Amino acid sequence: MIQKKIREAEEVCSQDKTSDGCKVAWDEVEEISAAKSHLRLQLMHSGDPLQSFCQEHPETEECRTYQD
Amino acid sequence: MAVCTVYTIPTTTHLGGSFNQNKQVFFNYKRSSSFPSSNNILTSVSRPYVITCSAGESQTIVIGLAADSGCGKSTFMRRLTSVFGGAAEPPKGGNPDSNTLISDTTTVICLDDFHSLDRTGRKEKGVTALDPRANDFDLMYEQVKALKEGKPVDKPIYNHVSGLLDPPELIQPPKILVIEGLHPMYDARVRELLDFSIYLDISNEVKFAWKIQRDMKERGHSLESIKASIEARKPDFDAYIDPQKQYADVVIEVLPTQLIPDDDEGKVLRVKMIQKEGVKYFNPVYLFDEGSTISWIPCGRKLTCSYPGIKFSYGPDTFYDNEVTVVEMDGQFDRLDELIYVESHLSNLSTKFYGEVTQQMLKHQDFPGSNNGTGFFQTIIGLKIRDLFEQIVANRSAAPAAAAKA
Repeated sequence: MIQKKIREAEEVCSQDKTSDGCKVAWDEVEEISAAKSHLRLQLMHSGDPLQSFCQEHPETEECRTYQD
Repeated sequence: MAVCTVYTIPTTTHLGGSFNQNKQVFFNYKRSSSFPSSNNILTSVSRPYVITCSAGESQTIVIGLAADSGCGKSTFMRRLTSVFGGAAEPPKGGNPDSNTLISDTTTVICLDDFHSLDRTGRKEKGVTALDPRANDFDLMYEQVKALKEGKPVDKPIYNHVSGLLDPPELIQPPKILVIEGLHPMYDARVRELLDFSIYLDISNEVKFAWKIQRDMKERGHSLESIKASIEARKPDFDAYIDPQKQYADVVIEVLPTQLIPDDDEGKVLRVKMIQKEGVKYFNPVYLFDEGSTISWIPCGRKLTCSYPGIKFSYGPDTFYDNEVTVVEMDGQFDRLDELIYVESHLSNLSTKFYGEVTQQMLKHQDFPGSNNGTGFFQTIIGLKIRDLFEQIVANRSAAPAAAAKA
């Protein structure tokens, strides 16, 4: 999607660099790039999904722990 | 939240503090006299008493943070919430694309949630997200005011992934409310609600270097596209966002370093903390002698630093017609002892114990900016806000007690 948006922005801006359309197109690119980088960071830090699930619901079958 | 006072004649007892949960109050009073009646039954003379509780002012304080980095995810927010304790997380069980962060004491709201136009709407009207016309300031004012008064609100959610406005989420009033985004100080009414405000000003060169690091991994991006994106947004940024600097109590300005000639990597940074004078509950940080002008290189005989070292300066200045004092740090921390050395020479840090700033920085060594002025000043501001909060709370609960004693 980022690629697509960048191409769009470049197209719009090649016609008129100072137009509103150009500003908005690059603003969209910025918004999406920021969202993407945030998603990437989240994925890096999310770790094991089972671990976070079990923290919330320790009573479920999958999360029971047994001690001898 | 309420302050309760028990009025009895002749004494008055103030049930100190404030309550935001139901509390059972047992009031025992000693009978001043009891005497047997004629038929040998103790009768007590009851002393009249009245308990009144005033739902006094809510003790929610509101902090505004102006930043162009996308909301709630920024390092500044994470450092700030860490100072108050606890990690801030998105609301559990709600919209996974929510921008809100909640910890025990703090709730961080993203002002993008008050967009009046979604991505398609903005495209049609030809306005960027930076433009005030894309935001509903009436709603922003209404909801921030309600939260400040201790009332929960149903706040809209702007979904950055889809670019649409999602159904609202319920936000409970917290002790500390942080509103983060592009326009926290734009609207005068919202400005009035802020107890403290911060503007994070990243210079163009540093912005460019950071965006290169962020976006070059993405297919489609090139140096040119990143440059074009920054330049296209600049006019709106300069017109609508930048002027908010004059209203901020603290401006953190991030510039390229002066210690390395022609450095364009944006790794070593020069960071200025511009503190407004005369702000209630805020005592600016100073170096050595308040109000004087100091230039300080801590590296020398007692402290060895590696290249490029550290340079501090401090002094009074004027900023947009306001009296300010500026603390500036250029360079990088390489070792723990550099950090603690520098901390021990600064004053008015509002730390609760020696080395608290260093400890906070160490807790988050993996955060960006942990080795330079950005992390250092952000952590310090977190402590100043904690100090502000405690002063406000102390003042507010002192007032009803004083009234009761009168």
